[in-house]
Amino acid sequence: MKRSIIFIKRTFYSIFVLWGLSVLIFVISRIVPGDPARMALGARASEEVLQRFRIAMHYDKSIVVQYYHWFKDVLHGDFGISLVTKHPVSEDISRVLPASFELAIFAFIFIIIIGITIGVISARYHNTWVDNLGRLAAYFGIVTPSFVFAIMGMLIFSYILEVLPTMGRLSSELIYPPKITGLITIDALIQGNFIVFVDAFKHLILPAVSLGLLGMAEDARITRSSVYNNLRKDYIVAAQSYGIPDRVIMFRDLLKPSLIPVVSILALQFGSILSQAFLVELIFNWPGFARYGMTAIIQKDLNAISGVVLILGIFRICGNIIVDWIVGLLDPRIQLIKERSE
Amino acid sequence: MLNKKAKILSIILCILGILISISSIGIAASPSIVRYSSDWPVIIDPSVGSDCQGVTAIVNLFDPLVSADTKGNVIPHVAESWDVSSDGLTYTFYLRPRIKFHDGSELTAEDVKFSMDRMLTIGEGISYLWLENIQETEVIDKYIVAFHMKTIFGPFLVTLPSFYIVNKELIMANIKKPGIYDDMGDYGRGYVIDHDAGSGPYILKDFTGEYILMEKNPNYFLDINSAPDEFKMIGSTEPILLKTLMARRELEMTNRWMGSETLKSLAEIEDVEIAQWRGGGMEYITMNTRKPPLDDIHVRKALAWAFDYDMAVKLVPGSVQARGPVPLLIPGSDPNSFQYHLDIEKAKLELKQSKYYGHFDEYPIEIEWNTNKYMEKQAMLLMANATDIGLTLNVVETTWALFCSDSASIEATPHLHVLSANSYYPEAASLLQARYHSSTAGTWLQGEWLLDPVLDEMIENAIATKDKDERYAKYREITRYIIDLCPTIFTIETPERRAYQSAYMDWPAAKGEVIPVYKYDNSIRFIKVYPEKREELLKK
Repeated sequence: MKRSIIFIKRTFYSIFVLWGLSVLIFVISRIVPGDPARMALGARASEEVLQRFRIAMHYDKSIVVQYYHWFKDVLHGDFGISLVTKHPVSEDISRVLPASFELAIFAFIFIIIIGITIGVISARYHNTWVDNLGRLAAYFGIVTPSFVFAIMGMLIFSYILEVLPTMGRLSSELIYPPKITGLITIDALIQGNFIVFVDAFKHLILPAVSLGLLGMAEDARITRSSVYNNLRKDYIVAAQSYGIPDRVIMFRDLLKPSLIPVVSILALQFGSILSQAFLVELIFNWPGFARYGMTAIIQKDLNAISGVVLILGIFRICGNIIVDWIVGLLDPRIQLIKERSE
Repeated sequence: MLNKKAKILSIILCILGILISISSIGIAASPSIVRYSSDWPVIIDPSVGSDCQGVTAIVNLFDPLVSADTKGNVIPHVAESWDVSSDGLTYTFYLRPRIKFHDGSELTAEDVKFSMDRMLTIGEGISYLWLENIQETEVIDKYIVAFHMKTIFGPFLVTLPSFYIVNKELIMANIKKPGIYDDMGDYGRGYVIDHDAGSGPYILKDFTGEYILMEKNPNYFLDINSAPDEFKMIGSTEPILLKTLMARRELEMTNRWMGSETLKSLAEIEDVEIAQWRGGGMEYITMNTRKPPLDDIHVRKALAWAFDYDMAVKLVPGSVQARGPVPLLIPGSDPNSFQYHLDIEKAKLELKQSKYYGHFDEYPIEIEWNTNKYMEKQAMLLMANATDIGLTLNVVETTWALFCSDSASIEATPHLHVLSANSYYPEAASLLQARYHSSTAGTWLQGEWLLDPVLDEMIENAIATKDKDERYAKYREITRYIIDLCPTIFTIETPERRAYQSAYMDWPAAKGEVIPVYKYDNSIRFIKVYPEKREELLKK
């Protein structure tokens, strides 16, 4: 079966998964106790105002009817009005998602570059002091929560050394570049605004590194283990016996198969970064998606909760499809196994 | 050709060079700015926003019809004068001419009418202050507007410093249809939520997901030359971030609700001081009078006698023991009302008179708290005190959302809850009505579930009294009535405590010159900052 057909089939199945997720999150968010109208309008709102709100939000209807209206609106990209920010949830998400996306991308770049590099070096010099140092760094990254790194980083680089900014996406003295992608660094580069790019980049360093440390450590461990195992495979030994330089073997023969388990976990890590960045976003006052989602949960902002979970679900599913596709590219045999099993 | 080591060295040097050049690109700070840490989100629509952060933005972006002096007296602002009809049912206001909105259009009586109509139609925020009382708003002339009341509303004038005027023309041009307000579509809510429609001393410059930036209005009708050029509300109350910003002189003042540990830590920074004043806030421990064993007044009185008020005051620096349901600085409070104190013997005597005496183990009592650690301490204190009289309390932390939903029914409302509440206008009626009138039963404002028709009538009667002295006397009578019912432990009058940059900032509120209640302490036009002193601090 062609790869494109498998891709279309996966996408088709994913629609059902998303629909199931939408039912689940809608029901859960509606059956929790409490009157969302009262929550939204406050203790002193009159019954007339409350009733008007319930009618407008369809809270006066059965849960099935509520779901029908909600789902119909969602298909048009309308998640309703946030009970807390009073903005349309879709507008809120379109504002906070690029902020988190930019943060996640930089954290991701950090994870890939540093994690894989440490893993490869550790494997290459296994059981030497270099390997021990790399493993120690990886253990440290795994056992230490990201918010601890965030606080330490802020104290050292912002408070003591004063070389990096403390919070936000951009210094307030600068104006956000006109929105193209919503990613300030990218938008600034497209528009040739180097000052804004540098300022935005400086704002990204601490939160991205704090957020990426766990993933970096995991990837370093997996890469080390994978590269180390492959190093002892026959085809590598054969290549070495032909006198092919180590560097060539590493980049041509070893890295590609060794990266398959790393790539598989990278998609999960990207989703995790988006959803688990709450504390880092809070510490650095980053106006991101995780913070928005967590605030929505704490304040029982039903529409926002539904929107956030659905968007996260879409990211997870897309991530898994992309990873399957990349893994297939890296090792066509995996695709073949799938075909045979089908 | 470079050898391998030289290549590596040159790469390292390049990376270092990039890092150094990046860190050296600095952005010059605005010379005259006040930066304020704020809860988030901030609702800047005066018809919707009513929490601390919302009002802080509104007070700077919009103008109220009338203002208040530091003693709480109502003084002219947009309205330069006013008169009240002899029957107390019509208030006529004469507006200053030539006040400009930020878009350049003139503020007229039409805008005042539109603002009140919009407020009452939307029915959110603080609209409840006027919703039951105003019959109609009438434009008499371009600069004359009248409010016709349904019944006499004694405190009407003192509520008006919280009534802000929006730009009718601008909002009407940005109304989205269809909306839930029939012909008025969404009544401009979608627009005003993040757009400037005011005439206030500051103009909205930037509203991002992380901060709100305002700049001084150059055409403001009052002299604000010495006010800061900019005001920035930073959407974070994270202690570590605030400490870093304060130390780098990138934050001038904090919001309320800072924990004492955070404030103590901020005060350790050189030239950062803690400003403290009482602004009409109270802490109560509500008692669900419909739930056994607290449906017995003797049990409630026993708890009121058992509470260690002195310790409660020590737990919250700057607080004083409360005397009745209304803070003493609020006009209409009763300075001579009965005050409980710690007396274990009296508490035990009360318990013995209870119908539940000897059976308390059958009625587990929970005390809930949320919001901040001060409240937890109050809950723990009462729990410890209660053991001295043989009562066992379970301290339960809850979320604000859960607390709100639990408050909707008698059964779900906890036996005891540590509650913080503020007056919305400087008169006792604000808290008496909010906390004890039956209209608020079923909301977070009233965990007592008094549902007392006599009390309701007393409150309604007092509010409908035109003469101020007579009204105040009625408030005192209500206070005594409530204390006799003992539905609440009146614990402390809470202070507002904020960290601020004392070396380069002149903040009237920090010197005790506080306008009670309306959040005018956050009105930036009264503040002066000295950028050169800040520079000196940074050079140290």
